[in-house]
Amino acid sequence: MYIKLAGGTVYDPVHGINAEKRDIYIHDGQITRKPNPDVRIDKTYDLGGKVVMAGAIDIHTHIGGGKVNIARLMLPEDHQKDPVKKTALTRAGCGHAAPTTMTTGYRYAEMGYTACFEPAMLPINARQAHMEMADIPMVDKGAYALLGSDDFFLRMLAANKGREAISDYVSWIINATQAIGIKVVNPGGISAFKFNQRKLNLDDKNSYYNVSPRQVLKSLASAVRELGVPHPLHVHGCNLGVAGNDQTTLDTIQAADGLPMHLTHIQFHSYGTEGDRKFSSGAARLAEAINENHNISVDVGQILFGQTVTASGDTMMQYEGHWHAHPKKWVIMDIECDAGCGVVPFKYRDKNYVNALQWAIGLEMFLLVNDPWRIFLTTDHPNGAPFTTYPHLIRLLMDRSFRNDMLSTINKDAAAASILGSIDREYTLYEIAIMTRAAPARSLGLRNRGHLGSGAAADIAVYDDLKNREKMFAKPCYVFKDGELVVEKGKVCKVINGGTHTLKPGYDKTIEKTLKRYFDDYQTVKLNNFRIEDDEILEYGNSSLIEQPCL
Amino acid sequence: MNALTFELKSAPEFPLDVSPLIPDRLEGLDLQKIKALKVEYGKQKTSVSSLFRVSGRDREHIRIQGSTSRLQSVGKDMTRGTVEISGDVGKFLGQGLKGGRLEVHGNAGDWVGNRMTGGRINIYGNAGDYVGASLPGDTFGMNDGFINILGNAGDRIGDKMRRGMIVIHGQAGNFCGSRMYAGTIVVLKEAGNNTGVGMRRGSLILARKPAHISATFRSCGVLKMQFLRLLFTQLLQYGDEFSLFRKFGAEARRYTGDRARNGKGEILILLNTNSGPQ
Repeated sequence: MYIKLAGGTVYDPVHGINAEKRDIYIHDGQITRKPNPDVRIDKTYDLGGKVVMAGAIDIHTHIGGGKVNIARLMLPEDHQKDPVKKTALTRAGCGHAAPTTMTTGYRYAEMGYTACFEPAMLPINARQAHMEMADIPMVDKGAYALLGSDDFFLRMLAANKGREAISDYVSWIINATQAIGIKVVNPGGISAFKFNQRKLNLDDKNSYYNVSPRQVLKSLASAVRELGVPHPLHVHGCNLGVAGNDQTTLDTIQAADGLPMHLTHIQFHSYGTEGDRKFSSGAARLAEAINENHNISVDVGQILFGQTVTASGDTMMQYEGHWHAHPKKWVIMDIECDAGCGVVPFKYRDKNYVNALQWAIGLEMFLLVNDPWRIFLTTDHPNGAPFTTYPHLIRLLMDRSFRNDMLSTINKDAAAASILGSIDREYTLYEIAIMTRAAPARSLGLRNRGHLGSGAAADIAVYDDLKNREKMFAKPCYVFKDGELVVEKGKVCKVINGGTHTLKPGYDKTIEKTLKRYFDDYQTVKLNNFRIEDDEILEYGNSSLIEQPCL
Repeated sequence: MNALTFELKSAPEFPLDVSPLIPDRLEGLDLQKIKALKVEYGKQKTSVSSLFRVSGRDREHIRIQGSTSRLQSVGKDMTRGTVEISGDVGKFLGQGLKGGRLEVHGNAGDWVGNRMTGGRINIYGNAGDYVGASLPGDTFGMNDGFINILGNAGDRIGDKMRRGMIVIHGQAGNFCGSRMYAGTIVVLKEAGNNTGVGMRRGSLILARKPAHISATFRSCGVLKMQFLRLLFTQLLQYGDEFSLFRKFGAEARRYTGDRARNGKGEILILLNTNSGPQ
């Protein structure tokens, strides 16, 4: 069956197509070249005047794994205040900051997203995370396995096991947990928290393992590089949310030593200590460093005002944050010595100096980093704001006068302390297409996603070209997923299940001997039960297992 | 003016959410509009006129007649006026009540006064479980206001209660005042097991010694507390049904607890002196 998308204004940064009028042909779920004239076109969509982009990809969104369920359990009011009725097609759900799985999928698709990546899947929780993500319809999923504070890895590092052994372990984890990348959260810090350390700088030692975050970062970054994992080490650095952590982040960039590294929710890591309140923006300093170091990519983790919930593996920093919990309840827990989990509900207020400045810092970061290929649009859902605020965020980036209007409503001191008002830059649609489509796909190594060339999966979002970019991106006219029309006029018109992206780097099988002994001695499951087989991913309800190639 | 009366035509077959029938929502509506109002009835929305015969004029005084325990969320989020019910009511009577008065001439279901922040609820029959208690996941239960129950009440009265007063003239179930943060609960007949367990602050005033007091409460002996005189004098002004408070004096046996938490709460067991406050 051939489908023709006729006459749309196409933005396809991978092929350098910037606002060109083009026809796109879809055949068997893939985008193809123009077929021979004698081929019958089964369906034609007239997209004259409409904007056509690849389906958007969210590189960092907490949609699965234990912490989201804890957030759901802890915040019934979040669900009671936002009920979603069932329709003939879609199932009932609820939730604003921590929506139900079904609602998550529908809402993502209704904004033109076709793939989402869960950044903090604890290896021991991987099965649960995959099952939960399989319940999210409409979009493709993937997950990064969280390493760096787990007992086995820290023991290896403390015992100075060689690079190869560590690479084998990292690779084994990616294979066993069906992950597509590796994330490290507060390197070694989650473990240090359990030994009563409340702060861990880049060169401080974990008091039990005698290992510093710098060592953890270096060994994991080089392992990821050696294994040919396309996505660089996904780093949630030290000192999240602490004033003065801009220096830590600069040090982390230096510590990368030229190795590719992705610094996630950089907004939470860009705080200086200047000014009367000892809290200032470090965005300019960091943006300069990011512009200079081409091995570094970042996603922002923009905050937007309102009630949300912060969910993170970083127990050390979540414990610090629990004093500000709103409503006043929180959970900090260890998860089988693998890592931790901290869930703290939070309300960002525009009249609060710190919150308002956080908002400005995120936007400064967006606007001061020059290369949209290395900065991705995220709110670190739900930590900065729920993902449903993306259209609003896009408008803030694309519309300077709107941004300045918003700036004039926030805390006056924060507005005065920020350079946001003096930044003229406005993102173009082409740059938005890079940062939400092409760049994430390239960073994750998704060869057939994020572009509209022949051979790509037909994940396509079509928007009305409205002046109000918030309205435009909140309600796409059409969204195609693997060639099927799934959203029409911003409403789901067909419910499908997405696939799961995985990676299969090679490793030396002998590591399993060591691991088996470790699992028998210390873990709650046997090695063979720990491993998630390919069939399981399909059994959980995913439509397919998409194996991406290593570099 | 005569009260605006909703008389049920027949006993409802399904749960019926009557939360729109409050003075705040009916103000300024003519009779036709009130009759056309939609209420949730089972899985559907049905007009008021298909279920009720509507008469009367006073929008500040609403009467529901022939009520059964299928009627839910009576007086939800009400801020003023009076809603009077003859018959039983179901769950969530006065949920989120902010002001005004609810009078129930019958029994009430579970979750009376859930998330209530003001106003007064009078129940002339019995109430179910969770009177003034918090829903699972809520930080606090009842936040302010006054609940008066002439009959008995079920378990978990005032669970996580934050402020306000609950008076139960009959018996209380188990876990009365559990996890209380503050506020006052008065029970005039027997209270069940584990009374006050997990309470942080607040006062549980019992007219009779319960059969079981948790080991984490410590007896402080008999004390004379003038605050009880003030409390009873105040209650006497609330209506005739409180006249029996005349017979209680200011002496009470005091237990502090729950010491498994911070131990700042108290259970007061009144000594019947027959020489009431003057």
